[in-house]
Amino acid sequence: MIGMGAMIGAGIFVLTGLAAEIAGPAAILVFLLNGVVTAFTGLSYAELAASIPKSGGGYAFVREVFADLPSFVMGWMLWFAYMIAGGLYALGFAPNFLELLHVYDLTPPPDQVGAVALPVVDAAVPAAVGLAFVAVLGLVALNAVSTAASGSVETIFTLIKVSILVVFVAFGATSPMFSSAEFQPLFPGDAGALSILPAMGLTFIAFEGYDLITTVTEEVKNPRENIPKAIFVSLAVTVLVYLAVVGVAIATLGAEGLARAGEAGIAQAATEFMPTGLPVIQNGGAIIVFGAVFSTLTALNAVVIASSRVAFSMGREEQLLPSFGQLHHRYGTPLVAILASGVVMLGSVALPTQSAGNMSSLFFLLSFIVVNGSVIKLRRERPDMNRPYEMPYYPLPPILGIVLNLILTGVLIEYLLRTDVLALVLSGSWILLGIAAYAVYTRLGSSDEPSEAAEPDEPIPQTDD
Amino acid sequence: MTLDIIIAGGGRVGFETAVLLDTRGHDITVVESDDDRCDEMADEYVATIINGDASNPDILRQADVDGSDVIAGLTGLPGQNLAICMEATEMNPEIRTVARIADRDQEGYGQFVDETVFPEGAGARVAANEIEGSDVRTLADVTGTLDIMEIKVEEGAPAAEKALREIRFPAGTLVISDDDGERVARPETTLAPGKRYVIAVEPDVADEVMNLLRG
Repeated sequence: MIGMGAMIGAGIFVLTGLAAEIAGPAAILVFLLNGVVTAFTGLSYAELAASIPKSGGGYAFVREVFADLPSFVMGWMLWFAYMIAGGLYALGFAPNFLELLHVYDLTPPPDQVGAVALPVVDAAVPAAVGLAFVAVLGLVALNAVSTAASGSVETIFTLIKVSILVVFVAFGATSPMFSSAEFQPLFPGDAGALSILPAMGLTFIAFEGYDLITTVTEEVKNPRENIPKAIFVSLAVTVLVYLAVVGVAIATLGAEGLARAGEAGIAQAATEFMPTGLPVIQNGGAIIVFGAVFSTLTALNAVVIASSRVAFSMGREEQLLPSFGQLHHRYGTPLVAILASGVVMLGSVALPTQSAGNMSSLFFLLSFIVVNGSVIKLRRERPDMNRPYEMPYYPLPPILGIVLNLILTGVLIEYLLRTDVLALVLSGSWILLGIAAYAVYTRLGSSDEPSEAAEPDEPIPQTDD
Repeated sequence: MTLDIIIAGGGRVGFETAVLLDTRGHDITVVESDDDRCDEMADEYVATIINGDASNPDILRQADVDGSDVIAGLTGLPGQNLAICMEATEMNPEIRTVARIADRDQEGYGQFVDETVFPEGAGARVAANEIEGSDVRTLADVTGTLDIMEIKVEEGAPAAEKALREIRFPAGTLVISDDDGERVARPETTLAPGKRYVIAVEPDVADEVMNLLRG
């Protein structure tokens, strides 16, 4: 449920407009194909999560299979992917929040308050970026001092989000704009069918939820059935919801309108066709806009938890400073891990939304490749391991997963080279920084290690009766 | 401090041990040769399971002996446990070894492994306490799910050298004794590294408490 929460949650509100900008009406295809690509990785996640009972997501699995450096890089990449995703959700939160205020006529339309698409422009910056900054700061502070909201709350949140989207689809599909909808031309002018590839890369982040699902598998009953089920059901539901919502949004607002609205695309589409003059809420569109604000916030919360969790497990495995792997004595939370994640998230708020999406997607793509690889490596090295769930047609799915993700990675990198070198440079430097930090850390670590290892762990008196 | 632990033998002793260690947040791999037993354990979802005979080096290697901190031979056959522990030491000289023995007088095993375990002896102690019906109970025989543990505070752990009133333990934790069990703990009691404290914890927070006290 938590995975679905993140997958359906923010991605749909924030990314729809951006995908439409690149791929036009083919944005529908983008999400469908992404669903297909991630399905292979889903199989790998299902097999790993069912046979390795650790709740740490991709990092924990890769740590089990690969040597120190590769698993460190994996953790490092996933950590970054989540942190940047946090930045992305915060950036998506801001314009939707402004739209919400606009619906109640408190502020002018969001594109007049702050053009988020042009964050370099002087006066435009503070409103949206400032809001995103505040959102991150607030949630990081919240998570730093108290243990996070439990899974059941997350389930309720997800149900709220899904029902809001159902309302959206229902109204959209019956509105007069839908019946006269134009999906032609499917691909915008010159770009052609290939334009969906970069859009796939960009929106890939929407499927990060797999990793999230497997970070919380510890309390699962009967993993043999339930983990694969959780993964596939949430994939199917996510793809369905995406298709319906994107279809309606494009049909009503048109791909161009959607693209122009950017991060607040769905919210604006909603204000177009939802009934107005309702009691209390005044404006039907407000529900959807509220949904967008709510979703981006909860998704932001989920990635704050997820990113600090990756850093926490890395600390526990002594791949980052041990203080990352400790709970704070006062707050009972992995404070250092949360704060460190918060700092990077705050930094990423300064990025344009597209760059944040691109970088996060890039790192998820890379880490999905490693996850698929670790399934293959594990099968070869530990043939006798008990696998409660074995994927069908092995080794086809992980190989396909690797190949397809590699293609998307390639396309995304090529696209970034053309349009967003900054994101690429930042991504590359993050990996280099990690490797450098790792080298320094292991050098230092190996010199103090003997003194620490000298004292064996005392067994705690305990019997089994 | 999370340990990577291999348990050879997933019978009652081996599996119950795995469950206890799992609630304390360690990473466990169980090696078991019986197929049905493997499936049963897989459903409980506490450990990674290797299906095979742990005394076979090819199987044992799949449990990642090199990357593990402790191996416990907990099958019903002491000779096999000894063999498993010695094979593992051969593969990774750093690994701690624990072997289950079947008789009180097999203490000679201690020469070859780091610790021996005699489950029947521990069980008998519990049974004796119950039969006697005494109010005086050892740490070992708490019934129900509450764990009463004696924990030594580790140097540099998050809660070390802090007074109890400064530390926010998770709900479901009670620090019972002062340094080395001479007094009942008070808010001003300071957790000194290297000293032992008796602490009652509910199983689902045991992991966090261990983190605070052990780092």
